[in-house]
Amino acid sequence: MDKKSTLKWLAWGMLIAGFFMASPLWGNAGEIPESLELQSLSELYEGVSFDHLLHMDMVGNCAACHHHGTGDPVEDENCARCHSYSKDTEVVSCGSCHPLEPFSPEYLREKEMDANRYHRDMPGLKAAYHQSCLGCHNEMGGPTGCQDCHPRTEAGDALFRAGAYAPESGAAAGHH
Amino acid sequence: MKNLIESGVPIVDSPTRGKGKRKWSLGEKLLLGLTPRQYLIQAIRNPLNWIIGVIFAIGIPLIAGRFLFGLSFVTHSSNDYPWGLFLAFGLFAMVPLSASGFMLGTTVEIFGRHDFQPIERLALLNGLLGYFFAVVYLLVDLGQPWRLPYPMVVSFGTAAVLFLVAWHVATYLSVQVAEVSASFFEWIGWLPGKRFIRKIAIGLTVSGIILSTLHQGALGALFTYAPGKVHPLWYSSSFLWIFFFCSAIPAGLCMVIAVSTIVKKTMAWRCDEEFLDKLDSLTIGLAKGASLALITYLAIKLIGVAHDNEWAYLATGWGQWFMLELFIGVVLPIALFAWAIHNNRLGVIRFTAFLTVFGIILNRINTALIAFNWKLYQEIPHWREVVVCLTLFAVYLVTYRFILYRLPILYTWREQTDTVEELAKEKITYPKGNPAPVEMFRSMDD
Amino acid sequence: MKGISRRRFLAASVIGGAATTLTMSKKAMGAGTFEGYPEGMGVLVDLTRCVGCRSCEAACNKEQKLPEPAMPFDDPSVFDQTGHGGQKRRPDENAYTVVNRYDPPGANHPLFRKLQCNHCNEPACLTSCFVSAYTKTREGAVVYNEKVCVGCRNCMIACPFQIPAYSYSSAFDPVIKKCIFCYDTRLKYGKPPACVEACPQGVLTFGHRKELIKIGQDRIKARPDRYVDHIYGETEVGGTGWMYLSGVPFEQAGFDTTLGKEPIISNVKEFLSTVPMVLAIWPALFTGFHLLARKKGHADEDHSHESQEDEKS
Repeated sequence: MDKKSTLKWLAWGMLIAGFFMASPLWGNAGEIPESLELQSLSELYEGVSFDHLLHMDMVGNCAACHHHGTGDPVEDENCARCHSYSKDTEVVSCGSCHPLEPFSPEYLREKEMDANRYHRDMPGLKAAYHQSCLGCHNEMGGPTGCQDCHPRTEAGDALFRAGAYAPESGAAAGHH
Repeated sequence: MKNLIESGVPIVDSPTRGKGKRKWSLGEKLLLGLTPRQYLIQAIRNPLNWIIGVIFAIGIPLIAGRFLFGLSFVTHSSNDYPWGLFLAFGLFAMVPLSASGFMLGTTVEIFGRHDFQPIERLALLNGLLGYFFAVVYLLVDLGQPWRLPYPMVVSFGTAAVLFLVAWHVATYLSVQVAEVSASFFEWIGWLPGKRFIRKIAIGLTVSGIILSTLHQGALGALFTYAPGKVHPLWYSSSFLWIFFFCSAIPAGLCMVIAVSTIVKKTMAWRCDEEFLDKLDSLTIGLAKGASLALITYLAIKLIGVAHDNEWAYLATGWGQWFMLELFIGVVLPIALFAWAIHNNRLGVIRFTAFLTVFGIILNRINTALIAFNWKLYQEIPHWREVVVCLTLFAVYLVTYRFILYRLPILYTWREQTDTVEELAKEKITYPKGNPAPVEMFRSMDD
Repeated sequence: MKGISRRRFLAASVIGGAATTLTMSKKAMGAGTFEGYPEGMGVLVDLTRCVGCRSCEAACNKEQKLPEPAMPFDDPSVFDQTGHGGQKRRPDENAYTVVNRYDPPGANHPLFRKLQCNHCNEPACLTSCFVSAYTKTREGAVVYNEKVCVGCRNCMIACPFQIPAYSYSSAFDPVIKKCIFCYDTRLKYGKPPACVEACPQGVLTFGHRKELIKIGQDRIKARPDRYVDHIYGETEVGGTGWMYLSGVPFEQAGFDTTLGKEPIISNVKEFLSTVPMVLAIWPALFTGFHLLARKKGHADEDHSHESQEDEKS
């Protein structure tokens, strides 16, 4: 098993563990988690402590974030063309549909083999989170800075050459 | 130099010294037959040498800097402006100014106009040196000049215009070396070599025409890769190569007039009487050719504007600059040439030749630098870039002069043993009624 | 290697210009239109999604082992940087991709655009290179062999997107630097480039170019209010591997919309096609002129000096 897939399994494991950790609370709110640790992608950034309850209270409508299958009618007109009467699905978590690695050769091949697939343009899990969260935060005036939701890890600082890894000024001044 | 000759010092113009049959040694030939002291004195007396000395003193360290610290040390060439003055002037302007070789070669060898022979060798040399120094400028500009032979031996980008330019300039350079080597063989006294060149002269000339047509045009075609970058008035995917080829004709001819004017003024001692006698009529002949070519060039430039329907651009600032370039470099020369040829005003013809040369240089710099990236911003060359250009040009001048002083370019190599003094007394006469009395390798015994 | 016979052939034709004819006609034929490899990969860039986080720049820097940047990648002040002549940032030897900010008129939020090599189907850089340093790989990447580069920088002249950059400051080994689609480390193995993997917003969609065009069309169809009805790069200069969707007219996001559909090499074809003609016609034409001119009365004279030469020696 190479490093990448280890990481992938580890990430999935954490995601599932996150659900189980939250599961005792599901009963109280109809199997809906009150808070989630979104750690599936934490590497450059720490995981996100997502206050699901707070967001539910603010939005008041599951379909605003979870396209369909939550009991609320579908909001997106385009989705509604097929899904306005879709039954509730068993799992509605983002990661159950949105792939962790949307551009891996395996996933691309899988998509290619499935000629009848409609959702050919499904964003990966990371993109789905960010588009959904950041899109709404922009509209509603929520925090939009990267580190407002997830502080950067040391690996992140190293990649971004920030913090302790910040370049000495003028060190890399190239050709005009 | 003039003083030395007046005082009777023999200058090398034949294989042997004086009446006796002693041959000039190579060292003596190199010093023109002067003693080292005499040679040094004439060199120090020449003010041009002092100017060139100053240019070298500043420029050569800069050239060294370019090779030690990279291109950014001397140029403003950037990612947006990959080509600067080295190529705009050194390659794109020097090459058309060197079209003289194939023009005069064609005139004399192909069209049989042997009356142009006195100036043919000067035109060939001008061509050779112009190309050679275009390559020198290129070597200074190339990122890895030591890889210049790569397109010939390592990796072939056969679909590229530059591949064609590289091959044709290289082959044409060898053709020109062969053409000019006739004078060199005379000078070192190896006659079989000269005879061999003489035999293949037609072949050389015809391949010269082919190669010139193609690479003069190819230099223009290089810019057809940049349709969005070169201003539409200077750009034409169909005609750019014809513009470059066509303008190279007056450029080469006017360059010969310009060089011969300078030669006549500054080294008349080296020219033989025939050259000096014929020069005025030859200049008129060249000017006639140049003005015809200029008229053609003007016509196709206008066709170019009409073909791509670029009239609206003429009303802009770019249009005015375009029209100014055409006026200075084409329209005005046409008018001046017409007037001066009609009235036999050689001074004006010579001035106009210089003007045309300037006009061509302006056109090439416009295409490669000024109208390039017209949507972005103007790049002004680094002062070091200008100095390096000047320095290389000074090397060109020194080389040019070195060869003209020595090889039988401006004078005829005499196979027998007259001194200059005696020759000066002797009036050369030609049989009357012969329209083309001069042969390149004529013998005085005729 | 196919070059061997040609190399010998070319070497033989150094002196005789006429022999070059065959090589040149090969050249003209080689300039046919090329639609791109069917299995070529690409990236669809959705500008409406980009938030300017520059994760792609950071990822590229790490993947390609580029030099340390002047400023941290999370420093937004780079968006206000202007280079020579007020130009926005462009890819260079230290950064194969850059994100720039635009403020389209009437928009209430800025627009970000990622710049990198677009990996054309028929790359101008490739066709202009006289040592064939560039290759368009089957996977769709335009890669560059720095071992043969002479440094003429014609590719930089030719690139309609002004992408190839040159390491001018290097004296002994200056080379062209540009995005290579992470070919060596990723694309070759079917993996997406580092920037695509790093993008949090799904701005970058990696896939087969043909599939990406369908995806782009679907997005436009699904949200006609969100997108301008055009995929930039679908047809521009013969099609590019990297394509763009935008919510504002493309010229407002700094795109050159005047490039047309023809690959750059099409502009050069007119000249290239004249080459074999000149090579074929000129020798006979000018030799003919020579013969005509000689018949006019210079015939004997033309021979005279040669015979004199012979007599003398």
